[in-house]
Amino acid sequence: MEGKESILKINNIEVKYHEVILVLKGVSIEVPGGGIVALLGANGAGKSTTLKAISGLLKHEDGKVTDGSIELMGERIDRLEAEEIAKRGIFQIIEGRRVFEHLTVEENLRVGAHLRGNGKAIKERLEMVYGYFPRLKEVRNVTAGFISGGEQQMTVIGRAMMAQPKLMLLDEPSMGLAPMLIKEIFDIITMLNQKEKISILLVEQNVKLALTVAPYAYVLENGRIVMDDTSEKLKENPDIRDFYLGLTDVGGRKSFRDVKHYKRRKRWLT
Amino acid sequence: MDLFLQLFTTGIMLGSIYALVALGWTLIYKCSGVLNLAMGELTLIGAYVCLTLYRWLNPHMALNLAFIMAILFTLVIGAILGLLTEHAFLRKMIGEPVLSVIMVTVGLSFFFKGTIFIIWNPDTQIFTPRIFPLKPLLIGNVVIGQVYLWSFIAAIILLVVFVSFFKYTRWGLSMQATADDEMAALSLGVSAKFVYALAWAIAFMAAGVGGTLLGNINGLNYSVGLLGLLVLPAVVLGGLNSVPGAIAGGLIIGVLQNLTGGYLDRFFPGGVKEVAPFAIMVIFLLFKPYGIWGWERIERV
Repeated sequence: MEGKESILKINNIEVKYHEVILVLKGVSIEVPGGGIVALLGANGAGKSTTLKAISGLLKHEDGKVTDGSIELMGERIDRLEAEEIAKRGIFQIIEGRRVFEHLTVEENLRVGAHLRGNGKAIKERLEMVYGYFPRLKEVRNVTAGFISGGEQQMTVIGRAMMAQPKLMLLDEPSMGLAPMLIKEIFDIITMLNQKEKISILLVEQNVKLALTVAPYAYVLENGRIVMDDTSEKLKENPDIRDFYLGLTDVGGRKSFRDVKHYKRRKRWLT
Repeated sequence: MDLFLQLFTTGIMLGSIYALVALGWTLIYKCSGVLNLAMGELTLIGAYVCLTLYRWLNPHMALNLAFIMAILFTLVIGAILGLLTEHAFLRKMIGEPVLSVIMVTVGLSFFFKGTIFIIWNPDTQIFTPRIFPLKPLLIGNVVIGQVYLWSFIAAIILLVVFVSFFKYTRWGLSMQATADDEMAALSLGVSAKFVYALAWAIAFMAAGVGGTLLGNINGLNYSVGLLGLLVLPAVVLGGLNSVPGAIAGGLIIGVLQNLTGGYLDRFFPGGVKEVAPFAIMVIFLLFKPYGIWGWERIERV
């Protein structure tokens, strides 16, 4: 990537779970300061693992970065505990709308400001979050387990915003939401990036959407980065069109007898 | 009716002490999933520490002040012991199977018991000079021993302090968050290890004061530690991971114990009082397996 200085640099990391299962086999990603980068890939490709390696949550699941390095603005962070990484400004929004079910929405948001102390600053941040998500203000005193899925996703994003992140790792924010809501949430994500200057690494299965939001993307397969380019170019790439966007050049139905399909995919993996 | 009222009020007051200890127990379970079978020994440790401090402080200041100071110091020492215990014995067990962790707490219970009786004389000891006047108070037709009344007040104060801590402070909220979803809490920079340590510290504090109060009522010997066993029906009744549940459970067990003791002891002399809470727990579980306020999974419709 040219031009801007990068906030996050992943250099060829290898990740193992339980010291035997090799999940990532050499992943290198760069996120420019103030940018949005998308990480694409099929189920089980290692997208979430990559995010957890960055945020340090991996250690909690008995996983480990065994090779390579992760740097946040030049400082190595791959050996730090999750809370230390959070202190440096990286916050992961875990897949699946993990609200604190038995706390109210506002209490959820307050927990987000855990590292930011008590007092007036929190009030201001709360107001800012409510500014972005007016809906959360309406349900602020409702137990988070009972609000709608969209509101839960907003709570989770708002919760991370309370922490004043420098870099947000978003894991599939669109999962299980209605198209209207997805659009709303992605608009807010774009706004956060532009107004609050939060850099974002976005993992998304909805490739079309991800490529509109992020100007640059990486494609992960079987624990390896197989492709990375600007979104414009990726959208034109025949492989991406085929495997991820479900489009074919001919426009007609795809023939699965086509052997090239297999060969092309195979080429990526080696 | 007078008898009932009498038994009921004393039961509530006794129950408030159980509630305090039950709260400590629930906290550890809620935050770290550890089923702590060493709770009885925690109460014993607190009680003996407080007794020693009291005897030591007593010649230097007024009686009441000495006792209050002793309790405050017990809280501090309890917190320190809690942090140490968690650090030395339980931190290494994070992520190990539940059964192994339970076995560690069983081991801790023996370890503490042994240590206690190396340091302190196992014979029954009483808090001398007496802190609470022996003369009972008369409210209506109900006679209330001053020990009970003051224990009740102390227990309630501590309960209020702990509950407000969870509700309104940063670490309190983070503890609840960790109990709810540890991974999500970690992702926000909440240190799970510190939360566990904090839970143990609070459990030690609550148990210590609970033990001291019970020791004041009945005299201090090994039987105070059996309170740790009584905590189980209390928390099971309340729902294992609910703080209000633990408090309600404690109160209910206190009342039930007193009522069965008062009414049934004539027919089944011996230990109805001790057995009743467990019998009721079993029957109750048949109908409400999650306890009164236990977490059922929140299902959105």
